[in-house]
Order: sequence, then C-alpha cells, then structure tokens
Amino acid sequence: MAMGILAEVTGSLGSIGYGLAAIGPGIGVGIIFGQGVQAIARQPEAYGLIRQNMLLGFVLTEALALIGLVAPFMFGQ
Amino acid sequence: MPAMSEKKIRPEDDGRDFANAAWSIPSYLLSGMILYGGAGWLLSEWTGVVAFTPIGLILGVALSVYLVYRKYGR
Amino acid sequence: MSTLTLLAPGDEFKPPGLELFDAAPIISGVAWFTKPVLLALLSSVIVIGFCWSAFGNPKLVPRGVQNVGEMGYMFVRDQVARPFLGKDADRWMGLLLSMFFLVWVWNLMGVIPVLQFPVASHIAFPIVLALSVYVLKIYLGVKHQGVIGYFKNMMFPPGLPKPIYVLLAPIELLSNMIIAPFTHAVRLFANMFAGHIILAFFSLVGFWFLFEKLTPLGAPLGVVGVVMTIAMTGFEMFIQFLQAFLFAMLAAMYIGNSLHADH
Repeated sequence: MAMGILAEVTGSLGSIGYGLAAIGPGIGVGIIFGQGVQAIARQPEAYGLIRQNMLLGFVLTEALALIGLVAPFMFGQ
Repeated sequence: MPAMSEKKIRPEDDGRDFANAAWSIPSYLLSGMILYGGAGWLLSEWTGVVAFTPIGLILGVALSVYLVYRKYGR
Repeated sequence: MSTLTLLAPGDEFKPPGLELFDAAPIISGVAWFTKPVLLALLSSVIVIGFCWSAFGNPKLVPRGVQNVGEMGYMFVRDQVARPFLGKDADRWMGLLLSMFFLVWVWNLMGVIPVLQFPVASHIAFPIVLALSVYVLKIYLGVKHQGVIGYFKNMMFPPGLPKPIYVLLAPIELLSNMIIAPFTHAVRLFANMFAGHIILAFFSLVGFWFLFEKLTPLGAPLGVVGVVMTIAMTGFEMFIQFLQAFLFAMLAAMYIGNSLHADH
C-alpha cells in the first residue's frame, strides 16, 4: 500500500486483455497450419497423419484463444 | 473408427472432411464452453460457490476437445 | 466525407468509433431508408445487371462481360461448389454464385471512393443471408434424412463410447443449431466492421496531422497514416474477396452436409 502508482491504464481493460491474450494463439495457429501445409507439400503420402495432428494442435490452440475470450467474464469486477 | 477411414479413398473427400473439421472446430469449442460454463455459472449463482464457473468452463473445453478428437482426429 | 466531418472540433486527436456506423435517413421521415439500405439495393441491382448481361444471352464463344462472368462462375464452381457438393454442384450454382457476387459487391462498397461503406458492417445484412442458408440447411436435412434421422446423425456421431453421449449430444446440438449459423454471419460482419474502422482510423490520422493540425512533429505521422491507408485499402480488398468466398464456401458446406448423411 505504501507504493505509489507508477503507471495507470484506463478504458476497456477487458478488450486490452483479450487483445494481448489473442497474440499467442494467433501465432500458434499460424505456425500449425503453416508447418502443416509445408509437411504435406514435402510428404503428400503422409497426408492423413499430418491432417490429424494439424487438427489436434488447432483444437488445443483455439481452446486457449476462447478461454481468453471468457476470462474477463470470469475475473470481472 | 476403422470403417469410416476405410471409406475415404478419394482424395477430394479427404479435402472436404478437412475443411469441414477446420471450420466446425471453433463452433464446437465455443458451444461446449457456453453450455457447460453457463451451467457452472448457474450452479455458482444457486449455491454461492464461485469455483463452479471456471470448473464448468474447463469441463466444457475438455469435452469439446474430446468430441473433436474422436470425431475428426482419427 | 462523413468520417471527416464527424470530428469533434477540439485540439486533441479523437480516433473514430462506433459513430461511423450511425446512418441517418437519406429522405427525412423515412426512418428505414439509410445509406446501407441504399447501398444494398444498389448492390442487388449491380449483381442482377451483371449476371443478366453476362448470362442472359450467352454466346458459344464468350466475349466481353460474358467472359468475366464465366471466370467468376468457374471460380465458384471449382473452388466452392464442387469440393463440397460433388455431383450436386450444378444444381446449387445459382444460389452460390449469386450469394458470392452479392457479398462481394456488398464488401466492395467499402472501398469504392464516394460510397465508402461496407454494407455487411451492419450485422442485419449478413444475418439475413445466414438465416436463409440456415433454413435451407434444416429443410434439406429433414428432406433427405428425415426428422429423426437428421437429428440423430447430427447429435450422435458414431464411434463414441455410449455413456459420453449424454454429455456430448447437447454440445453437438448447440454447435450445429445456434453457434454455427451465428458465426457464419458474425465472421463476415466482424471482418467488414473492423476493416472499416481501420481504414477510417488511418485516413483520419493522415487528414488530421497533414491538413487540420500541421506541425513539424506531426507531419511524419500524417505521412505514415496516408501510406498505411493505401496499404490497408489493398489489404482490405483482399479480405473482402476472401470473406465473400468464405461465406459462399460455408453455405456450400452446410448444404452439402445436409444432403449427405455420412458426416
């Protein structure tokens, strides 16, 4: 309590938070599909396996983005 | 689902399945979170235990990921 | 010009906000007749006129407008209809082609110099299209798979352990019946909405720092704003095409899933 305020952010903090939280999953989805397409181009016969792992990685990454979307509702106030 | 994967012989079917999966994944995840997160929120309003909302959300995400995994991932 | 005159007369730069989308009635007293409605009507006229002149009187050797129209037709057929509808593709081309062209012209309204308002950035317009696809999807599903069969195929995908269906069937129902059509409309709306705000923001930065309040420190920022406006306009045009394509593609996907029971 003895500390003074160094910097303050005002406005819609939830949207700033979601903007920050969306960076990671955005990069992640880009990497997943980019590398997946590259893998398919290098080895078209492994398409089934690559596709399945691409989808799995996409699901897990997308879940993070959506958790970020609801986090302001969870920790609001 | 060996029967299902044997049926896919034509490559264009694979492409359609892939697009199908990729476009329905976000809506599955969102609906799982809304459904079970909403149930958890109602439960926490009713009982007064705040922890039910995050538990419901995590449960919803886990169930949706499992559903997508079983439906498209194999 | 409307974006520029909306500026508050102060010394401080004020970024554009939601007031960009408040459309005043064009004829006073007719509350529903606003700029987006006018542009939507204009788009319909453009699409009808284009398709009429391209396909109304087809020649064996295409020339002029027919050439362009057939290029669009080939694109929609090969990229949208055939991958998702297979042998049924030709039956649905009328719907998909007009939907693709209509959404594209709606979106292009955002970068045409004087008009400069993407119609789809008012969510009512994409919702109408998405809702009609939704009704069509359910109608086709019930027609081809039966009421029980449609909901059974939708809610109970094969290959899952029995007890877990109690937990997963509601997710399937909510996802297919509510969230999927909702995201179908919102994806188009949000892209056009955000794109319009981005363009308005950068052009306002350029206008403000180069014309309204020209200072030595602010001028480089204004130049950056102008350059970004040009770059973002190009990027927006790409996004507009992509969103029209995606809208038609998702419509084809929903129709295809209703026609074939095995998904």
